[in-house]
Amino acid sequence: MRLVLPGVAAALVLAGMALAASSKPPVTFSAAERAAILAQGPWPAPQRPDPSNRYSGNADAIALGRRLFFDARLSIDGRQSCATCHDPEKAFGDGKARSLGRALVDRNAIALANLRLNRWFGWAGAADSLWAQSIHPIVEQKELGLTAQLLRERMASEPALAAAYEHLFRSAVADHDAERVLVHIAKALAAFQETILTARTPFDDFRDAVERNDAQAMARYPLAAQRGLQIFVGKGNCSVCHFGPNFTSGEFEDAGVPHFAEKGRVDPGRHGGIAKLQASPFNLLGTYNDDAEGAAGVPTRHVEQLHRNWGEFRVPSLRNVALTAPYMHNGSLATLRDVVRHYSELDEERLHGHEGIRLIRPLRLTSQEKSDLVTFLETLSAGITAHE
Amino acid sequence: MSRWRSSLVVLAFAFATSTAPSSACPTSEQGFRRLASPDAEVAYRWEPAELKIGQFFAAEVVTCGTRGQEPVREITIDATMPAHGHGMNYRPAATRTAPGHYRFTGLMLHMPGTWRVTIDLHQGGKRSRLTHEVILRP
Repeated sequence: MRLVLPGVAAALVLAGMALAASSKPPVTFSAAERAAILAQGPWPAPQRPDPSNRYSGNADAIALGRRLFFDARLSIDGRQSCATCHDPEKAFGDGKARSLGRALVDRNAIALANLRLNRWFGWAGAADSLWAQSIHPIVEQKELGLTAQLLRERMASEPALAAAYEHLFRSAVADHDAERVLVHIAKALAAFQETILTARTPFDDFRDAVERNDAQAMARYPLAAQRGLQIFVGKGNCSVCHFGPNFTSGEFEDAGVPHFAEKGRVDPGRHGGIAKLQASPFNLLGTYNDDAEGAAGVPTRHVEQLHRNWGEFRVPSLRNVALTAPYMHNGSLATLRDVVRHYSELDEERLHGHEGIRLIRPLRLTSQEKSDLVTFLETLSAGITAHE
Repeated sequence: MSRWRSSLVVLAFAFATSTAPSSACPTSEQGFRRLASPDAEVAYRWEPAELKIGQFFAAEVVTCGTRGQEPVREITIDATMPAHGHGMNYRPAATRTAPGHYRFTGLMLHMPGTWRVTIDLHQGGKRSRLTHEVILRP
């Protein structure tokens, strides 16, 4: 059973935009623009179970994962859960610039949705599976701060959890060592998180109307959003990184955001993420990967740590972007308008060293263009669905 | 083992070659394409044949002809995005499957646009470079 969460806003936003639509002429898209628009869908995108997690899609695992996601016993002091920073009422983010676990962390909490479409997880891609990513906040001292041993003890001491564990994993908690229990719990958490999906948006309706060449349906999409979309796939170059149905390359870029976590301390971004990935016993080249054929481990086997990875961070999906402020890896931009202004007036000196990424340059958008682009981005949001 | 950096799809290029294609060179009927420079020629094909942005693929490369007597001791591949100033994020692995036959795995182009692909054949102290451009669209 699925529960429709937030996201009512979309219809209201759309209605508001329609009222605000000016008498400007209709937007005409070139063949190349139409092709680029069609490539941003269709939605929902097909999703398969995670081959590295044999419990992916398993109803019992989803149920256990959901229960644990909201269970404060996963934190050392019993005061926080996964949902503290990934709140369903906030599109599974927390609305803060940088999240506060047991201490302030360096990065913004990524809103959880459509996670089966990811190749890498976290702002730096330090995990190559959702279950491996789910281990991190449990044992990270600044987040939930638990240990694998304490997790095992807590699972064993709570009869309902112990029974659910034994039912799902076919062994009692006591029969598994602490690391195995940690991985199992992470796989159940991943199974639940995979059920968090974003709904169809006004943009998706427009995109499908373009595909059908349905002028009447296309006309229901506000002109300002159409103009913003034209910038998105055109002079804005946005779709070079934010492409495909999930609006992301799934990789990492230097977007010119300062990467000092604090004075004198740099967040290494993707460079550090690859180092952590390769050192992790939980990566997909390890023994906990359930993918017998090994295809799931291909990206990890071939990923290369490069100097240019310094200062690179995840290219985030833009689905539900209007519901997941603030933005960028450190939450340093409060609104979508700030984000558009960032790319419009980008300080190229902030692009990290090397030869420079020439694709990212100041867009120098007019005030009208910035407004249109924001309007378009707002049409990418429509709430989420999650397992009840 | 060779090291490839970047790669991809198929569009383009080429130079007239002065080398005589080997009779053992795979043909287009086998899904191979030719790439030639004045000093060398290779046949290659992708697996899967249709390359898509963000999807891993493998490449088979067969040396068809080279100028000079020294054998090809290594093949390397690289690909960059001229408009973006960088190459692939992944390092392919190469396996020599038969004399003159190489298989590369772990190739992936992560962005739409124009990729410049280079295949270098190393003979003794000499390098022959084959270059083409590939355009990937979303």
